Amino acid sequence: MPQCAFAANKPGAHFVFTNDDVTSEGNTATFYNVANNGALSKKKSVRTRWDGIAGGLFGMNRVVALQNGKQGCAYLSEAQTGQIVSISLPSLKTAGSGKGSKTDGGMSNGIGLAVNSSNLYASFSDSSTIGTFQLAAGCKFKFLGDTTAVGLQGGVVDGMALHGSIMVVTYGDGSIESFNIASGVPVSNNDEQNSSGSKGDTAYPNGVDITADGHFAIFGDTANSTIVEVSDISSGQLSKTVVYHLGKAISSSTVVLSPDESLLFIGNTQGGSVSAAFFDKTTGTLSSGCASKRLKQWGNWTYLGGLAQQNTTGAGGDLYAAEYSSPSSIAVIHVESSGGKCTLQESSKSPVLDKASPGLLSIGSYPPRGF
Amino acid sequence: MAQLKVLRRVLTIAHISRIARCGAPRSLFSAFALLLLAGSSLAQCPKRPDPGSLVHNPLELISRNGVLKAELSMRHSVDDQGYNHYCYDYKTAKGEVEEPTLRLKQGDTLQLDIKDRIEDMDDAGLEDMSMAGMPGKVCGDTGKMTLRSTNVHFHGLNVPPVCHQDDVLTTLIQPNSRPFPFKLQIPKDEPPGLYWYHPHVHGFTEFQVNGGAAGAIVVDGMEKFRPEVAGLAERIFVIRQQFLVPWVPGPYQLTINNQVADYPHMRSPIIQMKTGEKQFWRVVNATLQDFLQLQVLAGGKPEKLQLIALDGYPLGKPRDEDVILLPPAGRAEFIVEAPPKGDYSIFQTQAYSTGPTGNPDLEQTLAQIEVKDVPADGAPVPVRPLTAGKIKFADLASQKVTANRKLYFSEQFGGTNGPIQFYITVDGQKEKVFEPNEKPAITTKVGAVEDWTVENRAFETHAFHIHQIHFKILEVDGKPVQNQDMRDTIEIPYWEGPGHPYHSVKMRMDFRDPTIAGMFVFHCHILLHEDLGMMHKILVKR
Repeated sequence: MPQCAFAANKPGAHFVFTNDDVTSEGNTATFYNVANNGALSKKKSVRTRWDGIAGGLFGMNRVVALQNGKQGCAYLSEAQTGQIVSISLPSLKTAGSGKGSKTDGGMSNGIGLAVNSSNLYASFSDSSTIGTFQLAAGCKFKFLGDTTAVGLQGGVVDGMALHGSIMVVTYGDGSIESFNIASGVPVSNNDEQNSSGSKGDTAYPNGVDITADGHFAIFGDTANSTIVEVSDISSGQLSKTVVYHLGKAISSSTVVLSPDESLLFIGNTQGGSVSAAFFDKTTGTLSSGCASKRLKQWGNWTYLGGLAQQNTTGAGGDLYAAEYSSPSSIAVIHVESSGGKCTLQESSKSPVLDKASPGLLSIGSYPPRGF
Repeated sequence: MAQLKVLRRVLTIAHISRIARCGAPRSLFSAFALLLLAGSSLAQCPKRPDPGSLVHNPLELISRNGVLKAELSMRHSVDDQGYNHYCYDYKTAKGEVEEPTLRLKQGDTLQLDIKDRIEDMDDAGLEDMSMAGMPGKVCGDTGKMTLRSTNVHFHGLNVPPVCHQDDVLTTLIQPNSRPFPFKLQIPKDEPPGLYWYHPHVHGFTEFQVNGGAAGAIVVDGMEKFRPEVAGLAERIFVIRQQFLVPWVPGPYQLTINNQVADYPHMRSPIIQMKTGEKQFWRVVNATLQDFLQLQVLAGGKPEKLQLIALDGYPLGKPRDEDVILLPPAGRAEFIVEAPPKGDYSIFQTQAYSTGPTGNPDLEQTLAQIEVKDVPADGAPVPVRPLTAGKIKFADLASQKVTANRKLYFSEQFGGTNGPIQFYITVDGQKEKVFEPNEKPAITTKVGAVEDWTVENRAFETHAFHIHQIHFKILEVDGKPVQNQDMRDTIEIPYWEGPGHPYHSVKMRMDFRDPTIAGMFVFHCHILLHEDLGMMHKILVKR
């Protein structure tokens, strides 16, 4: 969940928000106030003029947040029309919009987003391009250019994460690649490779996150069990991934590190649960942690989408998970971790209905995690 | 991961299904389909019947003196709505017709020459797959399998899986090559009934079956086993499905004998019956993925259908049904009595739920039944003395079982619209998609009789099919079934999720016949699933 905070979090706006991915008559982003106990209450749905696709690849983040001093921005992609829209926070008003090049498109499987202090990046699944947008005041942005990004087996760009001058992407065909973004527009680090999991297992990297110090990239695999891969990127390039088998829950397409990096949260995309693994940020190793029970009403919803966290410190407080259905919902999960043990327990008030969404996959929080 | 190369290509477009369900305009799909087919030849196949016209039986080619010889050409067309058709074109003195019915008797020889005459067309971005097959053994033409390559599977026939007979693993017919000869003998103890033929080039099957290339095969003699049909007018209905974009579960049309059934958007096809007449209907579900729930409604009420045979195998005794469920590739043969004159009567398929990740199978009127005193379209089934001999599998229930196996269907999603990995797995083995050069997932030997339990662990209903043999249904969801029908394709409903058991079907497999020795396949007969690898090999050793 690569989001970016420039300054210490300040009291005030505290949201969990969604890209509702509405397919006609304008997409919406729905903002929920977050109570101290983690409970969500709807604040507002912000309607845009463009349409989503109510679905797509699991590893893509269709919403990202940025905090720069008092100014906050949320960005969401609208894949049917190829648009990217920004919403000013905390005013919750649309601020800017833009598109990539004429050939950029994500109507098939979505448009993923990642942001840093200078640029917003958009992964277009149809054209398999990464568009770079330069950020400007007032949540505005301007298209700079495209980079073609294609997997070794022809896969399209899917998950995307940033840290400093490195961008790491997945292609959904087993391959991964990193780019240098020091000058803004990504330039390949010429390290494209098939992940170890895609060779030995029926698995392939989908979602991706990067540690706070930029030492490791962590990949959530689409798989028939819970499989996560870790690559040492301290050299500025991807190294061969190390595969971790972390349980029997089906698939692990979305991953997000807790703010203190002690836990890796994993969305068991087809398993109807969330898992957590213990992460050693020094060595980059993972060990089995805990898993929730099946989240409520699974069967009414089909897939577990992206994850977001309540807080920007410690283990992150409650965990929120997008439940894909029409209408969709958000699961609220209490996280406990101490003494090398953890529990993931769904809240009694979970799930929260996200009535506007015909297919919720991406969810974010504001203020965003600090890395 | 090799399969993903093609898979990804396919599913970068598959999202449209989602949009379709949310009401995207059909024009979007039409434009898309036409874009994909740009550069293709638009009218290779014969003109199809107009909406609202009579449904006639397909042209029949009938064996003479124990032999049926014919030459069919695989061709391709796109209709004015953007629907993409392939066809088996047959030349007659009066012009060209498509998908003739092949009618033979037990013991007859079918000599079929197939020409691939698909003219140049854009491969719609699909990448070639290499024809690995069994190393060193290529049957027919060499080169890569492409959208323009073809071959033939004789679905349901219990014939050898060898070159020039019913081998889909190594047989390849390339465009504009010499006619490829098939020569196979219908076993003398082949169950009399309805079978069908269709292309089976791995990775491309659904494209060619889409809206066209599928025809009926009749093995004569049903009246010897089920005398109820003797003297009745025989109607043959091949129900196909055509998509604007074949691999997208978006807008589709059903057709009956190549006439579009899209009421109320179009006038319904018309089936004529005489007052008080009983007809013998033989229906092939040649759709890509539609589970048909067949029903005749007279004045809004379901008529009793007297079921005679399933998947080409006569039932032990007929039974009355309100609805007959046919998975893709299934066949049903049943007696229909003409509804009362004046009642509004239709032949329809009811909606069928294929699960949260399955495709919507919608209710659709297939034809309006018009009761009118006119000559019947189909010739009557002969009236013969009851001289039925033994047919295959008749003693299967009492055979000693030599092995038990468990298999399961499962799916792996990288996104809501894909990429999707479709698996059929022998329990205990690793889940993997089919690769042409893979080793057999199951090895057995001639003489074996095995009980297989096939589970569905996916949120989508699947249709299990095995080549070369029929199987006897023993149990559904762990409970013995009352009607132990012989089938070659069977639906296995989707998993409802946590707290619910997997649905399963237990079936008895008969590998005793040495003529079916060799390598063949079992797979899901939702053709997209098969093309994407929900298939594996079985080797029956001599």
